[in-house]
Parts: sequence; C-alpha cells; structure tokens
Amino acid sequence: MTSLTSTRTPPSTARQWWVLTVRLIAPTLRNGEVAVGVAVTVAVTVSLYVPLNRLMDGPDLGVSGYAQFLAPLIVLQAISFASISTAFRAATDSVSGINRRFQSLPIAVLTPMAARITAGVYRCVLGLAVALICGYAIGFRFHRGFLYATAFCLLALLTGLVLALLGDTLGTRSKDPAATAQWLLLPQLIFGFLSVGIQPLQRFPEWIQPLVRHQPISRIVDALRAFAGDAGDGLAPVTWSVVTPALAWLVGIAAVTVPWALVVYRRRA
Amino acid sequence: MTVIGAAGRDIGGRSEKSAAKSAEKSLRDLVAETRVLTWRLLVRQARTPMALVHGVVLPSSFLVTLKVVFGDSITTITGQDALHRSVPLAVLISAISGSSTGMVGVGAERLSGFIARLWVLPIHRAAGLLARLAAEVIRLLMTTAVVLGVGVALGFRFERGIGFALLWVTVPVISGVAFAALVTAAALLAPTVIMVEATQPVIVLGGMFCTGFVPLDMYPEWVQPLVQYQPMSLAADAMRGLSLGGPVWPPMMGCLLWCAAIIALCLWPITAGYRRAARGGR
Repeated sequence: MTSLTSTRTPPSTARQWWVLTVRLIAPTLRNGEVAVGVAVTVAVTVSLYVPLNRLMDGPDLGVSGYAQFLAPLIVLQAISFASISTAFRAATDSVSGINRRFQSLPIAVLTPMAARITAGVYRCVLGLAVALICGYAIGFRFHRGFLYATAFCLLALLTGLVLALLGDTLGTRSKDPAATAQWLLLPQLIFGFLSVGIQPLQRFPEWIQPLVRHQPISRIVDALRAFAGDAGDGLAPVTWSVVTPALAWLVGIAAVTVPWALVVYRRRA
Repeated sequence: MTVIGAAGRDIGGRSEKSAAKSAEKSLRDLVAETRVLTWRLLVRQARTPMALVHGVVLPSSFLVTLKVVFGDSITTITGQDALHRSVPLAVLISAISGSSTGMVGVGAERLSGFIARLWVLPIHRAAGLLARLAAEVIRLLMTTAVVLGVGVALGFRFERGIGFALLWVTVPVISGVAFAALVTAAALLAPTVIMVEATQPVIVLGGMFCTGFVPLDMYPEWVQPLVQYQPMSLAADAMRGLSLGGPVWPPMMGCLLWCAAIIALCLWPITAGYRRAARGGR
C-alpha cells in the first residue's frame, strides 16, 4: 500500500492552483454566470445613460458629453458586480464544506483562495470588456492614445483585484450565499450615485460635497476619466495628483483586507 | 412496516382515514393552520437580519440618496416636490427586493424537503401557499410603513387626506404580491441559484426606466411608451396622484391589470411547482 501511494509525486502548487481555478471558471459558461454578468453590465449602462442623459447633460460637465462622463462609473459598476459574484462563490464553497476538505488535503493554505481570486480577476476582465463595449456603443472614446488606455484598463483591473479579495473574504466569512447575493443591487447604486461618476461635484448639496469628493469611487472615477481623456480640452491632463488618491485608496483597502483575509483563511473551517 | 400499517388500519379503521381527509379540506382548520405557518415564516424573517437590511435599510438609504443627488434638479424641472416620485419608487423597490429574498426561502424549503414534509401531514392543502401569501402581505405592510416613515422625515406629505393615503399603501402591497408570485413561480420551476442574480438586472431596469426615477419627458421619445406603461411606472404614477393630486384612476387601473395578469399567469406554475416539490421532485 505505502509503495503504491508514494510512487506518485504530489502535484506542484502551481498545478493545484490551476486545477482549482479551472474548477471555478469552467462552470461559469455553463451555469449562466457569464450570461448574467453580461446582462447586468448592459442593464446598468442602459439604465444609467438613457434616463439621465437629458437630465445631466450641460456645460458644467467638464467633458464633451454625458457618455464620456458616465463611462468610468459603468466600468466600476461592472467590476464591483464581478467581485460580488466572487463573494457569492466563496460563500457557496464555504457552506458546502469544500474548504474544509481542502484543508485536509496536502494543499498550501492559500491555494484555494488564490484560485478564487484568479477566477475573480477573470470575471473582472470579462466585465471590463463588456463595459467598454457598452461604453463605445453610447459614445465613449479613448482620446489619449494606447498607453493611457492601457493604464485605464490596469487601474480598473487593480480595483477589481482589491474588490475580489474583499468579496472573497467577506463571502468565506459569512457562509451564507443568499445573503451575499442580496448585496448585488442597491449598495452599488447608492455608492455610485453619491460619487462624481454620476454628476459633477458642484451639483451635489454643499454639505455632502466633501464626502462625495473624497470617497474611493469618486477618486478612482477621477483617475479613470483622466486616463480616458476627452475630445475637447476641458479636462485636466494626467498628473500624479489625480492618480495618487485613487491608488492610495486601493492600497489602503488592500492593507486592511489582506491581514484580515489571512486570519479568516487560517482559521479551521 | 407492513405489520404496523396493517395494525393501524385495524384499529383506526375508516374513521381515522376520513378524519385525516376532512382535515385536509376543512375551512376552520385552514385558518388555524395558515396562522401557525404564517407566524413561522414571520419569525424566520425576523431572525434573518439580512432580510431586514435588504427590505428596509437599503431602500431607505436609496431614498435618501435619490433625494440628495437628484432631488433638487427634478424639483426644479417639474415644479413638484421630487419626493412624490422617489418615495413611491423606494417603496416599490423595497417590495420587490424583499420578494427576491422570499424566493431564496422557497427554494431552500423545496431542497430541504420541508414542503414535502408539510404534504404528508394532515393539514389543509392550501395552508402552505396561503401562509406564504399572508406573510408576504404583512412584510410588505411593515416595510412600506418604515420606508414611508423615512420619506415623511425627509419632508414627504400626503396632500389629499387619510383615505387617499390608505389607498397609497395598498399599491405597493398589491404590486409586491404580484412580484412575489412571479419569483415564487420562478423559484419552484427553475431551481438554480443563479435565478436570484438573474432578477437583479430586471429590478435595475424596472427601477430606472420608471417615472418614479426621472419625469417621463426626460427619456428619449422612442422609449417613452415603454416607460409609461410598464407596471412600476403605472404604480408610481398612481401613488403620485394619490399623494399629490393629478390623475389617479388611469394609472391605477393599468397597474391593477398588470398585477392581475401576472398573478393569473403564475397561479398554475406555482400550484404545479408546489405539488411537484411536495412529492420530492426536483
């Protein structure tokens, strides 16, 4: 018996990670997760742009049209939706007991989490692609060349990575898939509405402007908007003063989440 | 097993069997059993804080957000207080998203075999479904009251008296029951978890392409008929008419027709799905 089991060398961590990642990605095509993700992004684009275009368009937008103004927010909505799917998946894993089984197997502690985060980034790439297609359909364009367009995508994906980590930890901890699914809709809209992604800062009531201005979504939207540029020249150039606050928020959120995640994953399931 | 079954038949005879049979049909038992099962559902809801957050806290924050972000621009454009639009919208969204939570419950009971267990007990056949309906109505009344309270705190007032105010409250309750019928049918027929996520784009579209969000003439011409005659807009229009003044009955009739049609369409899938779940079919 012993000789039988020991003849096979245990697979490498990279290989284990890949197997676990494929386990998460492969079913998304079959069970409708991709279809729902695409549908949500299209729904968010249409339901923000169509009702608000006439209400919001005006000379004080700072860019040439509401589509150009709104696109960063659409991208962020798509990405945060992806991270909620990640949370949902993590909670499902947690409640079905597979995490416990992983802990009993010769797998490095963080490999299942790494696989789920990878799957989360895959969802973000998908969401970003759909959001950009939707943006192009309503009239959004990159005006500052290939390099800045790449920076736009990288910042969006970095946001997605941080959110996926947060979602995965929350999901693993809550162990209630239904409860995490409830977080899909309104919180996203509420935080999206209270940001400069939806209307220029000066249109908010004065007392809430500081909050709106400094909250993470606003800061990331500012940076994305700068990367995308504009047909006119009303938009400020890309400077560190625009990009740094966005990065600082992301680093800050990650700095809080990572230690917490380590605590959650190391705990015996 | 056979021995016990045979003995039971010997002792009880016909009377026990017919007693069980009559319990499944008796109207008085139906009321008592429905009350017990309704209470069970309400207690379960009260013990799930997430359901509370979802049905009350989030719609209320959404209402405050609408007031802060769009309140001034919409009040300026229409000349009417924007709260007469956003309070109905928030109440309707609370009704709808609460129903999606209920759908998770139905799915879970189906999978855990609870529905099947009810079926083998000598209780009225309609009690399970009626209890769900009663619990839904009570939940809708409570969440509507809370969100309405937030609206009143923000400055929302009924301009047309108590009678119209009471009618105002019935609109989200009826719409919520219709939506609950829709999601219950979906939960019983299509068992996948993805259904919860799949209702989200529907809710987003329904809430944003609604006259409770932005006035009708802010939408592009080609989409206006769609916006005007979708059920949530009709409900929001009727509620605005009831609280502020203006046309009430045309949108109210439209809304009621929508709800009646949805409930009528879902009735058969719900009873059939419930029966199938009761027999342990998946």
